[in-house]
Amino acid sequence: MDTNKLQTQLRNRVGQCVLTSPGSACFAGLEGEKKLKLGASLRFFGDGWQMSKRVGGRRFWRIPVMDGEFVCEATTGLTKKAVGGGNLLVLGKSHAAVLAACERAVRVIDDVPEVITPFPGGIVRSGSKVGSKYKGQIASTNDAYCPTLKAAVKTALPLDVEAVLEIVIDGLTKESIAKAMRAGMHAIADGGAEQGITHITAGNYGGNLGPHHFHLKEIIA
Amino acid sequence: MSALTFELKGKPDQRLDLSPLIPAKLNDLKPKDIEALAIGTTRVKLSVGDAFKVKGNDAGSLRFVGTDGRCDKIGAGLTEGEIVVEGDAGAYLGDAMKGGKIEVKGGAGVLAGASMSGGSITIAGDAGERAAGIAVGETLGMRGGQLTINGNAGPLLGERMRRGFVIVGGNAGDYAGGRMVAGTILFKRGVGRYAGFGLRRGSLIFIEAPKDLLPTFCDCGVMEFDYLRILDRWLRTTGQHVGLGDRARRLMGDMAALGKGEMLIVA
Repeated sequence: MDTNKLQTQLRNRVGQCVLTSPGSACFAGLEGEKKLKLGASLRFFGDGWQMSKRVGGRRFWRIPVMDGEFVCEATTGLTKKAVGGGNLLVLGKSHAAVLAACERAVRVIDDVPEVITPFPGGIVRSGSKVGSKYKGQIASTNDAYCPTLKAAVKTALPLDVEAVLEIVIDGLTKESIAKAMRAGMHAIADGGAEQGITHITAGNYGGNLGPHHFHLKEIIA
Repeated sequence: MSALTFELKGKPDQRLDLSPLIPAKLNDLKPKDIEALAIGTTRVKLSVGDAFKVKGNDAGSLRFVGTDGRCDKIGAGLTEGEIVVEGDAGAYLGDAMKGGKIEVKGGAGVLAGASMSGGSITIAGDAGERAAGIAVGETLGMRGGQLTINGNAGPLLGERMRRGFVIVGGNAGDYAGGRMVAGTILFKRGVGRYAGFGLRRGSLIFIEAPKDLLPTFCDCGVMEFDYLRILDRWLRTTGQHVGLGDRARRLMGDMAALGKGEMLIVA
């Protein structure tokens, strides 16, 4: 994705998902040589009632909304040197158990510097594989981890696994992602096997996702 | 290297224009040349060497010792470096400065920080009228940076201010924030009459509710402001524990002008 497309995506996603959320505010989490507009484009939602405020060298836009004000930093940094796609797949005997374990993991990963869990709530239920039977579809459902397809595909799931959720981690360095994955795995395991988690694994997409490989046994050691 | 120090020899018999004494103008000068700089403001010629005892050699860090209210234009046009004033400063302290840092241990005269666009000024004592206001020949007041007045501020504080942040530890005079275009002034104590007169945009934040409110300010009620949380957090990082909280009564005005400014009276 080039910078212009990323700018459009950022404006649309923050505008549709963050601006709309009650009580939210939006801050730049990254210093970068290049900048992307954040509040600088969303400010127009304020229809002339928006106010710009500079606090300690950072510029914020205050946009009036129905629950008060949406405060949004004017710009955020851009880097093309980050590492994307670190992931954990959590398998369990019930949807509730897997969700609870993943939420625990996301909370501790939030405290690890230089990483983000980019999906809503940090947790993904629609893990994907590369390619599809349909032309033009570059990714499709990760059928090997779909519990409803165990009988029809080359499944990666034991029969008693009812749900799989994924935590995707992007970071500024390989080391920071590894640190986040280790913290996440410990948080999941802290619940104990009796809570219904059966496996922690990760998708490696045949080793084709990128140059960085994270081997869970090495990370947890 | 020690700070380049200017110690006032005695009470000068004329006002002094100290605008030549900033790091950018002194960097390449020899001590003899510095002492020869003209700082007089009357037909009687006066040089730095006549009025000051000069010591030290670090032109990036200046100290004025024993100065009084007749020492004008200290740090005027400052772009970089640091100036410490161990005494009072006269008029036009940090006038039109663009960067750097000025710390005054005493008070300052009129037009402190007038039309400044960057850097920071801290005044331990009182500041005269029109602080952060309009410098001579300018159309706008303060345009950026930070001005901290720990004592009282005179009338017309922040007049036609365009950007930047002013914090007043003591009381402010009449017409505070008058005709402001934008920017923020935080009042830790009281203000005089007509605060926010002609306010177009910009924020006046009050810890104590003003005694007199202009009738052209309209009440929006009390609500939460993330902005106050952000401001309070940043102030704490600068060592100022103001305790802004996150709730304030918002009044919009001045409706006799553009009316897009605000008073936030901390609840």
